[in-house]
Amino acid sequence: MSAVIERTEVRQEHAEPKGRGFGWYGMVFFLASEAVFFANLIASYLYLRVRAGSAWPHHVGYTEIILPAINTLILLSSSFPMHFAARGIGRGDRKALTRGLILTVILGSIFLAGQAYEYTHSPFNPSTDIFGSVFFTLTGFHGAHVTFGVLFLLVCWLRSLNGSFSKDSHFAINAVEMYWHFVDAVWIVLFTVLYVFSLPGI
Amino acid sequence: MAVGSVATQGRTVQQSWTRTGIGSWVTTTDHKKIGVMYIYTAFFFFLFGGVEALLVRTQLAVPNNHFLTPEQYDQVFTMHATIMIFLFVMPIWTGFGNYLVPLMIGARDMAFPRLNALGYWLFLAGGIVLSASFLFNAAPNAGWFSYAPLTEATPGCLTQQIAAQGAQAAAANAATSAAQGLQGCFSPGQNPDFWIVGINLLGIASLTGAINFVVTILRMRAPGMTINRMPLFTWMMMVTSFLLIFALPSLTVASALLLFDRHLGTHFYQASAGGDPLLWQHLFWSFGHPEVYILILPAFGIISEVLPVFSGKPIFGYTFIAWSGVAIGFLSFTVWAHHMFAVGLPPIAQAFFASSTTLIAIPTAVKIFNWVATTYYGRIRFNVAMLFGLGFVAMFLIGGLNGAALAVVPFDYQVTDTYFVVAHIHYVLFGGSVMALFAGMYYWFPKFSGRMLNEGLGQAQFWLYLIGLNLAFFPMHILGLLGMPRRQFTYPSGLGWDTLNLISTIGAFTLAFGTLLFVINFFWTMTKPRTASDDPWDAFTLEWATTSPPPPENFKTVPVVRSRRPLYDKKHPEDPDWRHEH
Ligand SMILES: [Cu+2]
Repeated sequence: MSAVIERTEVRQEHAEPKGRGFGWYGMVFFLASEAVFFANLIASYLYLRVRAGSAWPHHVGYTEIILPAINTLILLSSSFPMHFAARGIGRGDRKALTRGLILTVILGSIFLAGQAYEYTHSPFNPSTDIFGSVFFTLTGFHGAHVTFGVLFLLVCWLRSLNGSFSKDSHFAINAVEMYWHFVDAVWIVLFTVLYVFSLPGI
Repeated sequence: MAVGSVATQGRTVQQSWTRTGIGSWVTTTDHKKIGVMYIYTAFFFFLFGGVEALLVRTQLAVPNNHFLTPEQYDQVFTMHATIMIFLFVMPIWTGFGNYLVPLMIGARDMAFPRLNALGYWLFLAGGIVLSASFLFNAAPNAGWFSYAPLTEATPGCLTQQIAAQGAQAAAANAATSAAQGLQGCFSPGQNPDFWIVGINLLGIASLTGAINFVVTILRMRAPGMTINRMPLFTWMMMVTSFLLIFALPSLTVASALLLFDRHLGTHFYQASAGGDPLLWQHLFWSFGHPEVYILILPAFGIISEVLPVFSGKPIFGYTFIAWSGVAIGFLSFTVWAHHMFAVGLPPIAQAFFASSTTLIAIPTAVKIFNWVATTYYGRIRFNVAMLFGLGFVAMFLIGGLNGAALAVVPFDYQVTDTYFVVAHIHYVLFGGSVMALFAGMYYWFPKFSGRMLNEGLGQAQFWLYLIGLNLAFFPMHILGLLGMPRRQFTYPSGLGWDTLNLISTIGAFTLAFGTLLFVINFFWTMTKPRTASDDPWDAFTLEWATTSPPPPENFKTVPVVRSRRPLYDKKHPEDPDWRHEH
């Protein structure tokens, strides 16, 4: 056992080790950074709210929360077709993939339409007061993420129609699934802190 | 999708290897070429930022000087810091890491070669945006931490101001416009916008690089290279990358909210409308303090490679150095408000942040003791790389001590925003990061280029640097204690500041002369043939086990590692390290 740096004739390929691929790890760290991004936004909001004390403006009542609550259910339910799409291609079932993707796109678009309706009918705007600033910035950043997710899903759907994905090669589907679940999870937190915490008596 | 199939990616990589000429650089995804491009570009910005430092020091050389106007001075000192931090030190570490990490862990490339190239081009774009601001006479001018509300400008405030002035006609004197400025028109120009856009491009670039490093280091190590056998430079690049992943979002949020305040009418930093300017400080420094370690941890890594090789010994306390780096990483997220002691935090917060800041001195001191112990009873070779390494330990120690002094709240009150803080940051960043950079540069230059830098010129550069940095930055401690505020474009004579400022300016020009020697050394060396051997320093780690410079695929065969010093083992089959490790 003299040479420790052994000479073998195997050329090192740019191959991935067994287990999760590089892309999966890359997505995890990307989403971790995204999570910290939203955590900073929410912390900023809570900081401003605590500092303002009773001067904090309130705009959300029990009628205003109905539409976003329905919207929340729609976005959450979109996680199911997303999950079945990814499960499907994992088995090699391209039909399940295509169907799941387009259903997720539709539900995501309904959510965005609901948000657009809410924005255009809002009695306040980003410059009305500090709640307006916080509300539009936080939901706006989330909405931008949903929009990106819907576009990403659409591209995947179009590619799935061409049969671009197979049982062994579908990393983009795994990536978009991780991203979509992440965006869903962020919305639950945002809905809680922005709407529920703003209800009178809470 | 960026990650299609391994086969496609392999083909792309293969194609980029076989190309030559300028095209081979523009389209490359090879980690070594990207690393070299980072280093060249960052070094260009080092010279750019250095010229700005000379402008600042020329302006301050004598009292009541009018070499620069106040407006120019604001732009120059802001851009000096912004460039040195975001366009020089951060990217040059990315460059060193790009070149060295895959070699050190026995990998063929980074995990995401194309993302790596994207990161470089985004960095260049951010650099161009920030530099181009000078062409519009709108360079960022509110200091490198761009405090709100100084950087605020509510939309329309400028037009309101002009209208008000029109109405008041003759009465519109300097006093009224200054008063209206206080209503939200602090920075009506585009200066902060250039800063926001440039910094965010650089932030995205850093994030792509950080994710790439983490995945590369976690997933691509050669057989046998466990986490506890990785070279310490790789360790520190990993910790730095985690810091970037978790710290950059604070800066992104801070600057996004500022952008919205400036252009969309939000009120995040406007106290008059329910916002809070301190929010900026909290967000900025919760990025800004980890950032300090992003700038210095790779330097720790370089020193932990250079000192053992030139002492002819293994590093003393490998495990302590590695894990104290991790400890520093965690602690760096808990100390941010030590930059805000003077803003009136509650006493309990001050006590917390003073304690956590003092605590961080412990893992840092652990490293210093380990480095000193590494040289103890070593067969020391005083090559230029080693001189810079030893210089680093001494100078960084001063930067650590005066930094610990700033953790003492009553003392901090006294010296907040004075030259004492400027002295501290320059001992850390020049005495620390820049000295380590040149230790690494002289050490790895043969690997990068196949040529040895001239040792004589290097020695001269080292002594000019050591003397110059103490001349330039030591007097700033005293100036700070004497109450000289930072960021003032000039000062009256008779306050006891004149001689000290002149000495500091002489020091700055000494540093410039030392840098000039390096540039001469570089160009002179590059004209010579590639004669450096694969392992000119009798080193220990895998990057020296391949040719100088390495072939595109790095290693002809997969290296197998059995200890922390695989190359030492190969060279000493009679008594390899792995016999002594358990
Ligand atoms: Cu700090």
